[in-house]
Amino acid sequence: MAIFVDKDTNVLVQGITGKFGALQTKLMLDCGTKIVAGVTPGKGGQTQFDVPVYDSVQQAVNKHRVDASVIYVPAPFVQDAAFEAMDAEIKFTVIITDWVPLHSEMKIKAYAKGRDTRYIGPNTPGIMVPAQTSLGMISPSAVMPGSVAVISRSGTLTDEVASQLSEQGIGQSVVIGLGGDPIIGSRMIDILKLLKEDGQTKGVVIVGEIGGTMEEEAAQYIEAQFNKPVVAFVAGRTAPRGKVMGHAGAIIMGERGTAESKINAFESAGVSVAKTLWEIPSLLRKVV
Amino acid sequence: MRLYEYEGKEIFKKFDIPIPQGILVKTGEEARQAAIELGKDVVVKAQILGGRRGKAGGIKFARTPDEAGKIAQGILGMELEGYKVNSLLVEEKLNIANELYMGITVDGENGAPVAMVSAEGGVEIEEVAKRNPEKIASGLINPLYGIRTYEAINLVRQIGLTERTLTSASRVLCQLYQVFVLNDARIAEINPLAITNEGNMVAADSRCEIDDNSLFKHPEYKDLRIQRIENPWEREGVEGGVNYVDLEGNIAVMANGAGLTMSLLDTIKANGGSPACFLDTGGGLSRERMKNGVGLLLRKARADQRIKVVLLMVRMMISPPDAVAEGIMEAIEEVQVKTPVVAVMRGRTPYQERARELLENSAVILCPGVEEGIREAIKIAKE
Repeated sequence: MAIFVDKDTNVLVQGITGKFGALQTKLMLDCGTKIVAGVTPGKGGQTQFDVPVYDSVQQAVNKHRVDASVIYVPAPFVQDAAFEAMDAEIKFTVIITDWVPLHSEMKIKAYAKGRDTRYIGPNTPGIMVPAQTSLGMISPSAVMPGSVAVISRSGTLTDEVASQLSEQGIGQSVVIGLGGDPIIGSRMIDILKLLKEDGQTKGVVIVGEIGGTMEEEAAQYIEAQFNKPVVAFVAGRTAPRGKVMGHAGAIIMGERGTAESKINAFESAGVSVAKTLWEIPSLLRKVV
Repeated sequence: MRLYEYEGKEIFKKFDIPIPQGILVKTGEEARQAAIELGKDVVVKAQILGGRRGKAGGIKFARTPDEAGKIAQGILGMELEGYKVNSLLVEEKLNIANELYMGITVDGENGAPVAMVSAEGGVEIEEVAKRNPEKIASGLINPLYGIRTYEAINLVRQIGLTERTLTSASRVLCQLYQVFVLNDARIAEINPLAITNEGNMVAADSRCEIDDNSLFKHPEYKDLRIQRIENPWEREGVEGGVNYVDLEGNIAVMANGAGLTMSLLDTIKANGGSPACFLDTGGGLSRERMKNGVGLLLRKARADQRIKVVLLMVRMMISPPDAVAEGIMEAIEEVQVKTPVVAVMRGRTPYQERARELLENSAVILCPGVEEGIREAIKIAKE
């Protein structure tokens, strides 16, 4: 196992019969993900691509060993779906759903605190361990097995960075989208702490964005305690101040959250910062 | 979505937070009438969605109704901090003995609401935080339980309040938390919270921002949000389900996903190009949303002669390639503009192959990768 999941992880899909849930269940099965059960209230007893569907998470965990859950339910229901997974003592949850209300995000975060559980998202493309498992929508054709971990705040940009690496023959131990929203389950620093102990990971690519302070926090940790080479890219260097770029977390407010602040933090922590997307693989080759 | 001062105050009133008597007006004559109705000295306040109104001349006092009317005429139509003034709030002038600050916002790092109070109100809280941090007290609130009375009391006690002021301030703070929660706010702020000579506590100003992802719970704001977008292109974007921001250059850029779009803009600039806009279509594309996004850029290119080329980049993780390609071709067919369109189709196999196949004989210039696409767009823009 790199981190969180591997080929033996038994996965539950919450919202398995919905439009996105069903489509992505199919794509995950094609990646070899071991999906053991799905949940859609009112559809218990049916199957979706031969996966048994239950009315509740508790019912599913009574019948199956579930190691992780992926949530696709619509935004208004995400809060309860996350609580439900945590109440059923599922250790790892991926919240894919986009447009989740901010107050729900705060409540999920508070609910997870003090429990033996971790989650990534909301608004994430998920997590992919190449050639092993995928919880989410990262393209299998973008990745290849290897020893570089990719941590990103974006969706499609995560996929693109993985492609850029694979096309240059650099494989990945794990590719993780943390989620583009201001309040997410796992921050960069949380993932770095796990990667530090991960024997398979020899180097890390961090794909950051303007807004928030997650990159600065990660840079501090890298400088003080992280012992593997890191290359960073920060999207939004040229973004105008005070304008929300996209609907999520990317906004520069006053002096906080600027690309300069993040790039400076990374550089003073000894992290190489790529100026363009295609610079990432070559910088990585120099340090790994 | 940010609310006007008067809208925030209407919410405060519903939650039993005292506000000054006031009337919203749109003309000088209405302001004069409002002052007569209030029957005392008044303050005339420009209603705009940002900026520092006071310093820019957007807040003025009047002793007589005629003076109020004159002042109102002067402020209406003014441009303050980039916002045009269309309405004014005429309020009774308070006899202020002291001003506090009170706010509930979201602490991103901790992922929880934070309540903040300050013994110094009426100035920007960030300024106080830099200059006199000891005047501010703040505490994280557990969103599962909400603020507790004793937490509110402890906070206002820390900024030196005692006796009746302590209990009324803690009561206002608890009510403000209710405003924050029940309106799905990102920010609910009273600055200043005035203590009058008579010892009453009154919210002299309001700042409320509603979380856009929660607008489905607040239909009363949903339509207003679109109406209030001043830039017509940005408004068209929101109506079409995409996110548009105007920039200054000559390459109109669209991609799916904010991170990807921003990184294209950065990379264009780093290579000597100049983006004309940011358009993020968001993920999980439909034919319609794709068409809306491309159509918007082409209409913009037709209207703005500076734009020399359109660059589209779609990374298909789950977006169906047929919908993506058809959306692009339909928009080009419909808008009919000569501006060249460079397209980069990337993503999951076989999605990227399928999209390229569909676009092969169309009007777009297909490029295999990001680097090629950007270089091609920059080359055309410089011709």
